[in-house]
Amino acid sequence: MNEKIIHELQRKQLEETTRRHFLRECIAGMGGLALASVFGSCNPFEKQDKYAALFSSNPLAPKAPQFIPKAKSVIYLHMAGAPSQLELFDYKPALHKLDGQDCPQSLLEGKKFAFIRGVPKMLGPQASFKQYGQSGAWVSENLPHFSSIVDEVTFLKAMQTDQFNHGPAQLLMHTGSARLGRPSMGSWVTYGLGSENQNLPGFVVLTSGGTNPDAGKSVWGSGFLPSVYQGVQCRSEGDPVLFIKDPEHVTRDLRKASIDAINEVNKIHYEEKGDPEILSRIAQYEMAYRMQISVPEVMNINDEPKYIHEMYGTKPGEVSLANNILLARKLVEKGVRFVQIFDWGWDSHGTDSNLAIDVGFVNKCRTVDKAMTALVLDLKQRGLLDETLVVWGGEFGRTPMAENREGKKNPFKGRDHHTEAFTIWMAGGGMKKGFTYGETDEIGYSAINGKTTPFDLQATILHQLGFDHEKLTYEFQGRPFRLTDVHGKVIHEILG
Amino acid sequence: MRKIYYLILLIFVSVAVVWYFFPESKIDYNTQVKPILNKKCIACHGGVKREAEFSLLFRQEALAKAESGKYAIIPGDAAHSELVKRITATDPQERMPYKKDPLTQDEINILTQWIEEGAEWGDHWAYVAVKEQTVPLKNDWALTEVDAFVYQKLEENNLKPSAAVDKATLLRRVSLDLIGIPAPEAISKKYLTNSNADAYQILVDDLLASQHYGERWTSMWLDLARYADTKGYERDDSRAIWRYRDWVINAFNADMPYNQFITEQLAGDLLDNPTDDQYIATAFHRNTMTNDEGGTDNEEFRTAAVLDRVNTTWEALMGTTFACVQCHSHPYDPFTHDEYYKFMAFFNNSRDEDTEAEYPLLRHFEKEDTEKLNTLTAWINQNISAEKAQEVYRFAKTWQPSINSIQADQFINSELTDTKWLIFRNNAQCRLPNVNLTGSNRLIYRNSSWVNGGVWNIHLDSVTGPLLKSVAIKNTSNKWQIVDFEFIPVDGTHDLYFTYSSPNLKNADGSGMIFDWFYFTDDWDNNHPDKRKTFWELVRKEPPTTPIMLDNPDKMKRATHIFERGNWLVKGDVVEAAVPHTLNAFPNDAPANRLGLAQWMTDPNHPLTARTIVNRVWEQLFGIGLAETVEDLGTQVIPPTHPELLDHLAWKLVHEYNWSLKKLMREIVLSATYQQSSDVNEELLEKDPLNKLYARAPRVRLSAEQIRDQALAVSGLLSNKMYGPSVMPYQPAGIWKSPWNGQDWKMSEGEDKHRRSLYTYLKRTAPYPSMLTFDGASREVCTARRIRTNTPLQALVTLNDSVYVEAAHHLALKMQTQSSVKEQIGAAYELATGQKITERKLAAFEKLYAEGIKEYQGGTMVKVRNKKEEQPQLKALSLVATAILNLDEVVTKN
Repeated sequence: MNEKIIHELQRKQLEETTRRHFLRECIAGMGGLALASVFGSCNPFEKQDKYAALFSSNPLAPKAPQFIPKAKSVIYLHMAGAPSQLELFDYKPALHKLDGQDCPQSLLEGKKFAFIRGVPKMLGPQASFKQYGQSGAWVSENLPHFSSIVDEVTFLKAMQTDQFNHGPAQLLMHTGSARLGRPSMGSWVTYGLGSENQNLPGFVVLTSGGTNPDAGKSVWGSGFLPSVYQGVQCRSEGDPVLFIKDPEHVTRDLRKASIDAINEVNKIHYEEKGDPEILSRIAQYEMAYRMQISVPEVMNINDEPKYIHEMYGTKPGEVSLANNILLARKLVEKGVRFVQIFDWGWDSHGTDSNLAIDVGFVNKCRTVDKAMTALVLDLKQRGLLDETLVVWGGEFGRTPMAENREGKKNPFKGRDHHTEAFTIWMAGGGMKKGFTYGETDEIGYSAINGKTTPFDLQATILHQLGFDHEKLTYEFQGRPFRLTDVHGKVIHEILG
Repeated sequence: MRKIYYLILLIFVSVAVVWYFFPESKIDYNTQVKPILNKKCIACHGGVKREAEFSLLFRQEALAKAESGKYAIIPGDAAHSELVKRITATDPQERMPYKKDPLTQDEINILTQWIEEGAEWGDHWAYVAVKEQTVPLKNDWALTEVDAFVYQKLEENNLKPSAAVDKATLLRRVSLDLIGIPAPEAISKKYLTNSNADAYQILVDDLLASQHYGERWTSMWLDLARYADTKGYERDDSRAIWRYRDWVINAFNADMPYNQFITEQLAGDLLDNPTDDQYIATAFHRNTMTNDEGGTDNEEFRTAAVLDRVNTTWEALMGTTFACVQCHSHPYDPFTHDEYYKFMAFFNNSRDEDTEAEYPLLRHFEKEDTEKLNTLTAWINQNISAEKAQEVYRFAKTWQPSINSIQADQFINSELTDTKWLIFRNNAQCRLPNVNLTGSNRLIYRNSSWVNGGVWNIHLDSVTGPLLKSVAIKNTSNKWQIVDFEFIPVDGTHDLYFTYSSPNLKNADGSGMIFDWFYFTDDWDNNHPDKRKTFWELVRKEPPTTPIMLDNPDKMKRATHIFERGNWLVKGDVVEAAVPHTLNAFPNDAPANRLGLAQWMTDPNHPLTARTIVNRVWEQLFGIGLAETVEDLGTQVIPPTHPELLDHLAWKLVHEYNWSLKKLMREIVLSATYQQSSDVNEELLEKDPLNKLYARAPRVRLSAEQIRDQALAVSGLLSNKMYGPSVMPYQPAGIWKSPWNGQDWKMSEGEDKHRRSLYTYLKRTAPYPSMLTFDGASREVCTARRIRTNTPLQALVTLNDSVYVEAAHHLALKMQTQSSVKEQIGAAYELATGQKITERKLAAFEKLYAEGIKEYQGGTMVKVRNKKEEQPQLKALSLVATAILNLDEVVTKN
């Protein structure tokens, strides 16, 4: 496996050098690319020659990471709203016994919750658990398919965050800051690595559940990085990528003829003006034309074989999490670097039946269980699991107490937002298999061992892609910024 | 010991060598020393880390004794200065920079000589007041003083300016720059047919006088003001704040002096008897976000908004990134941690508290209500007092200063529902802390109830304390109402304890009433029933509103604390409002509030305000600032290419132009520098690839707004309608999907579909997609500079977005009025570029047209669509029109 990646890396570096040489000889002969105002400053590696960056006309050209990576791409499945770890992975029999009792003051003193007021009741696990696989991982009945692949998975059971509202917590998870304005993880990754496939965006976002994430498009925004690195939302409804479809009366041939005409005139204009930026525009128009073919192709799941549809539980034509998960596999297969999936509807407060931990939540689990299991198995059977890092989780966890909004009992069983313990799992991309890291106390309230934070997760993801998270930086406002700000350490314990 | 001798010898020799070779040149701190310190030392010995208790940020610190008890720098005595010993040490444990590459011999020499010469600290250019510059001698080429400065630099670099550009290109360039769209025909014709020497000057004056000028520059300003039509964060509901945008347009068009322009935005509410417009101007700092997500702490997001105001004030208006000082002293620049919070104190006393309604709001009365209010306050002024008149005016116009119900705490059977309003269930109890009752005998409040028979009791200082009032709560059928009651006056500040119960609340979980705000006042109108009637009539009106700034009255003032390491929950010492000590002094006679702050910022001695706006205007016209980082003029960034020119223009702006931006722009665009050709050749690319010396005019891709506006203008679709609520042009379905928010994109009708882009509704969590693709900002925070990119997604917008498809169609209709295909193509090309088309370009489009005709007359399309034949010519022309609107020379300013 490693050999394959090293080989690939060498090839890429060679290509890169050749291309630069070519550009220097040919285009620099005509006069060098005046792009440094844009790209000269976005030099991800301290030691890379600024002059060389000047000649890199395409900011998405594949770049070599800082060291040999374990993973080439990432699929990040974010269950927006934050799924309950206590009904999925973090089995707490002791919590059963406390069910219905007043929460002890010691758990409430000095703590702040989004909705819990006064003294809430404890809420026992609302699902039964069993151990699975060689690793003996506990999984609840809510995930019958997933329980079969626990030996492929690493669990982080002691994740902690410091944000208990959705928007800020999602931002922290994906941009390293609870405030707006920072680039998202996928943007950092495409900034550092470029894109493998020039006919597809390097960073793709897929959403389901009917609503965008709480933090809006900023969770895939490019912040202060050039906007070319922002996530491109691919959609199952309407155009798969905005504006990718030709207008009604324009056939493919006519579009080709149009782009030929545009580029022909642009070439003449280049002869008149001598500005190399015009050459860059010509290249972008050619790429746009190719994207118009390749994006609808990759976004079409109709032609997937029947067994794949059965495996994922996908139905072509629907907007569903399962469809998006299948699309994610197709995208990484085609060289997309970072696929971020957001699924809305995991906020199980118990304020109505859709948000009840024993009703709506169970249904949500059904929509993801089969597909996420299929994703891991499918990547594996294609030999892609080793080089694809799959991450699954929410923005925080849920309380072992039942929510009592405004100090009164909620109409359904539900749990409030919880920052002190939640579970995330990862598979592939060089993670240990069948491994659990971190532990919570006997009721799942606090992380006690192997605590990890969103920054640690980010550092680890970047590490698997071949980056020291402290060195993937961007100069902005007079200082180098990085995804993990001043925090984060790679969770070496979980690396295979 | 021997080592030391060697060391001293080495230092002696190096100093001697330096003196021998450069006997006269004294080391300059700013250009020679500071870059070394910033690059090699300050990461560990600066504002953030002070390893070994040694920092190089300020001279005073650097000359002090370090942790070791030794002096790192002894002015005039390099040999005994620990710093010099350390940078020249051979022992890796001793040698600095620790575990990094050693300094070069050059660097060592510079630091050594500098210490030997007295280790003088220099002030960073941008923190020193602007001085009048000597204009270099103008040569024949120069038209304005700008050119004299530019030419001097060109000569130094052995470059010659480019030839003047042709008239048509200049017309397009200056039109896009000054009004954001191609010049209206009346203006362009006048220029193109005028062969007199002053033709261009007249053109510039016509453009500056055009109403479109204000629209173009407002587009730029709104990025700085982080203007949007929604509140931001999770729920991201609508916010009606467009009157601020219109205020900016009018201010630009009226050429409001820039000092007044920023004073009104920072502190319009603190001026004497502010007008509605001056209040609206303060919405500049109400463009911060409001978080309506359930469960969020309002104080946290109030604080976030205040911090954002501090950061934006610095970044947008003073070209300084101040945000890092929030957590620690500035790593490179001379700003300390406490100075951040002293500065924050200017902003920390505004009334806004992240409430759902976004109070304080300016209430826009109809004309007749305004007259009623004026009559009423005139009467009060005459019969009671000027203060009372002001108080009543303010309350009628803003419902302020009232206490928001979210200030309540200690809840029993009560709660802030969705963390937005105080709500009572049966047998409810809570506290409204710290209410100054002195001088009040009347409470006006806004509430709503849906239960009969409720009783609300207010006790002083404890639930069992003296009863201030018992109030029967009427069922308002769940509608907000504003009512009042009177009470026996009590002096002093008290905690008010509320209780509430109703026999009709049977269910323990059921709630009975809700509060919005409380306003303590007196019964000035008691003996004047007609006045009272007018007062209530006005107060109860629910007119349109705009969020504005208002400060707390003295009795409601907040203390400002330092936040330890930037954490708002860890409060340190209390600080008073003040400005950083390294900049100009706060004016003696200025009040310690936002108005005083504005006076300080617009003081001619302020080193940053004028430089920042001059640099920004230059950046807008030339694509790159004289100092490239318009958001930060600090010590760590690339120094300006033409510092004297920057200072010269800044000086002129303040001292000659009386802060007139139109005069500043006029001076720049009338320069020979601006009027050059933008053609590039090998020599220019070799010597100045980024065009920082201006031996040619810049070629810059148009902004997101300009690209759309130009397409609409060229095709004849552009509406000239100005002002008003934001509009919703074509947008693909499914862009808006905010949580807990049923709002939808509803396509505007009629000409509102074709308004200029600055009027397009901007939703922060889902901005207008094509704008984002062309590097537009989502306006969550201040964007001081848009980084231009060039991507395939941009091509897809101008090829396929309905906006451009429609524009191309309309352009094709225009083309049809010409007789031959050649003329049709030529006409469209000329409309889009201002140029006559060349034979080769024409040939390329003719070929495309022929392909179109072939397809539409007999190709697959006709068969498939089985429609009545729509003119194939028109469709083929549309193809050509689309191609023209996509040309590099169309999306670029040549």
